[in-house]
Amino acid sequence: MAGLMELCNLWKSFGEVNALQNVNLTISHGKITTLLGPSGSGKTTILRIIAGLDTPTRGTLFYGNTQIAANDQITLREKATLVFQKSVFFDTTVYNNIAYGLKLNNELSKEEINNKVSESLTLVCLEGFEKRRAKKLSGGEQQRVSLARALALDRELLLLDEPTVNLDPKNVSIIEETIQRINREKKTTIVLATHNMFQAEAISEKIALLIDGTVKQVGTNQDIFGKSNKYLTSFARLENVFSGTAKNTKEGTSIIDVNQHLQIEASVSSPGKVTVHVRPEDILVSNNPLKSSARNVFKGTIVGIADLGSIAKLTVDAGKKFSVQITKKSLSEMKLNVGSEVYLTFKASAVQLI
Amino acid sequence: MTAIVEGIIKAFQLIFSIDPELYRITGLSLYVSGLAVVMASLWSIPMATVLGLKNFRGKRFIRGSFNAFIGFPTVVLGLVLYLLFSRSGPLGLFGLLYTPLLISIGQAILITPILVSFIISAIEAIDMDIRDLARTLGSTEIQASLSILREASGGVILAILAGFNRAFAELGVAMMVGGNIYNQTRMLTTTIALETSRGKIPLSIALGVILVSIVYILNISISYLRKR
Amino acid sequence: MRKYYGIILVAIVVFGVGLAAWTLNAPQEKVSLTVSTTTSLDETGLLDVIETEFEELYPNIDVAFISQGTGLAIQTAKDGNADMILVHDATREAAFLEEGYGVNRKILAYNFFVIVGPEDDPANIKGLSPTDALLTIKEAGETGNAIWVSRGDSSGTHAMEKRLWTAGGEDTTELRETDWYLERGSGMTATLAMANEKLAYTLCDMGSYLNNYVSGNIELLIMVEAGQETLNVYSAIACDPQNESLSHVHFDEAMKFIDFLVSDDVQNILADFGVDEFGQALFNPAVEVLAENTDPTIASWIKDAAFIDGTECPEDKRYEAGDLTFLTALSSLNAMIVQLLK
Repeated sequence: MAGLMELCNLWKSFGEVNALQNVNLTISHGKITTLLGPSGSGKTTILRIIAGLDTPTRGTLFYGNTQIAANDQITLREKATLVFQKSVFFDTTVYNNIAYGLKLNNELSKEEINNKVSESLTLVCLEGFEKRRAKKLSGGEQQRVSLARALALDRELLLLDEPTVNLDPKNVSIIEETIQRINREKKTTIVLATHNMFQAEAISEKIALLIDGTVKQVGTNQDIFGKSNKYLTSFARLENVFSGTAKNTKEGTSIIDVNQHLQIEASVSSPGKVTVHVRPEDILVSNNPLKSSARNVFKGTIVGIADLGSIAKLTVDAGKKFSVQITKKSLSEMKLNVGSEVYLTFKASAVQLI
Repeated sequence: MTAIVEGIIKAFQLIFSIDPELYRITGLSLYVSGLAVVMASLWSIPMATVLGLKNFRGKRFIRGSFNAFIGFPTVVLGLVLYLLFSRSGPLGLFGLLYTPLLISIGQAILITPILVSFIISAIEAIDMDIRDLARTLGSTEIQASLSILREASGGVILAILAGFNRAFAELGVAMMVGGNIYNQTRMLTTTIALETSRGKIPLSIALGVILVSIVYILNISISYLRKR
Repeated sequence: MRKYYGIILVAIVVFGVGLAAWTLNAPQEKVSLTVSTTTSLDETGLLDVIETEFEELYPNIDVAFISQGTGLAIQTAKDGNADMILVHDATREAAFLEEGYGVNRKILAYNFFVIVGPEDDPANIKGLSPTDALLTIKEAGETGNAIWVSRGDSSGTHAMEKRLWTAGGEDTTELRETDWYLERGSGMTATLAMANEKLAYTLCDMGSYLNNYVSGNIELLIMVEAGQETLNVYSAIACDPQNESLSHVHFDEAMKFIDFLVSDDVQNILADFGVDEFGQALFNPAVEVLAENTDPTIASWIKDAAFIDGTECPEDKRYEAGDLTFLTALSSLNAMIVQLLK
């Protein structure tokens, strides 16, 4: 299988934090590759490096058989274009937004530009939106215009960062269908970052499972999702992952029954079997129950303490095992040891569906 | 009291009579300050763009200095230019003293801190994701900077307008390096000063009314055009 | 909120320091006498000397000078913003009296206007009479060989300049449309500075010229010397308290100051002022010349140039003048006879 692009031993640090640690990945020609992982796992960082918007701290990139020089972001920008998770627009019409990149290419006539703009709008089912003001559109329409703007450029490599997050089902399906269609019809290579494993399963042929800045597993759709035990082990590495049955509440949130001791309240409503995730850093640890607006408060016992330099990672049994992070200073000030009783507090909005 | 009433009546008589001197003076003021704004924009916009987009050591100090010089006294600038450009000064050989060009140069220097400070603020108010957007759509760094500048155009126009207002209404530079020569460097502000010193108060009031009206109409029409 | 404390503190300090500096230096319980005068007098520093002497004599009076071109100096007094004027334009002084704004006019001093120009004298006017010199400058100017800088600010100097051009048959409102005639519209020092920069000619009173030349501001040289045509006469006029709009003026103090100006003390100060620095006096005392006819030629020039209806001050414009005497052409004729008899 021909690799359109190779990422070799990529490291990226922001100050002392390593966002990427030794990432190796082949982006196959003409396929949809998905970077699957929770938020903060490094998906966006990888996309920005491929797009030529950021430089890796260490490591090399190959485009075809050519090595990309460390300071050569221009070549990458000519090959790839990125659709951001949060729509960004020039404060002007949809037409001008889409035509922006086309106008930079002096070889195109005005008529060709007009045609490309209207073709790409047709692809995302927004025919005739040329004269609308981009910033006045709804969230879903904005994301579709963003996609159309990228499509109009006809780049070999299309990078999509969580293109359907926070969108309603109608917009999600338009975007997913468009992505698959252009991959099928134009053979455009696509790299899609998502935290939604159902989306990953539905539209991609190759999945890289990304956790804490490292690629944990790369494989075809079948490799990752085919055998349920393997898929589950992969995801078990994600900390604080809980499965259960969700019921909607009157307030619009949902209660997830994990077991008879643990009910988690989440601000998303998605009834039925769900898997949710709470980031260790979103959980507060206290000696006494906290009076706060947070909906989830659980009492538990510390069963493990791991030293991670300036911070410590606690494992707390509160019906299920939770991982939480606190600073070493807090650990000694709160006089915590294995066996100490603590309260865990987190907001309903910190509960993420996966 | 009568002088004020007389002045206002005289102002309207002058504005509606076709007095060539009045139009010449007003025209020169507009031309000189307009040229000053063009010159100041030529160096302030690139400078502000670099300062607004790049991070480097000493940036805070440079920004702070530009902010501080917004209120630079016009007479001090006039004095410095006078000393530089007088026949015995280091730039005397250009023969620019008492010419409209030197007034424009002086006003351009005067309004540079206004333009730079305001444009930096306008650029910093723009979502920096715009820069990445431009890049990923194929812009070079310069094209990306220009796109940010275009997004900030509202603020840039305001900055230019504020600069023009300051230049148009200032007296110190025009008087000290222009010399207030009839028909050559006599502008609205210097004429007001002169006519007051000649004891022709009504004419001064008339010119003052014209000066204020121009500033007012210009600012109102630009803010109207921007809203559209 | 805390970050505003600093700002408020700075504001209070600036305000407080300003107020303190102002009140500590403000005159205490004194009557202030405001004298509206011309730049040519003020710029030489003469008035400061006179003020010091006067305030020593009358500690309760505080003298303040407002120095402007004669046009505005007179306007300031008409508007009620001064107690007396000290100016040098007989025509406008006569109008000031006639319109009921002033009384007790007294001629104090004289000097001469000179035409100054660059050392190489491009128009070749050296030694000509003032009017001929101006016409020659005009000819040279029209061929691009000379520049004239006019005060153009309705000052006494400007009035003199206009009289000279008019005497030569020229109209300054036409001249100012040309390239070689620059209407400056500013004070004497600024006008001299421009003439110096442009290597141009200009008309200037002797006092201002010497003051600027000796201090190194200008390199221009005198091209046309003193003569009857360029006589420059300074007078003092008290504002008329009988005029309803001026009833608030400090008339008594103004009269004390005029008495003081014509006293031998001040007349001697005038005769000495500038001698050390410039080698000659900037102003010449006029009182003795007129009263005792010590220099008949000058006396007759002054009478020609600065008497109004044959007198220093018309009779109906004299008011509670005390010991002050006003000369008429007749009285000075008597003086002349006395002089001859001696």
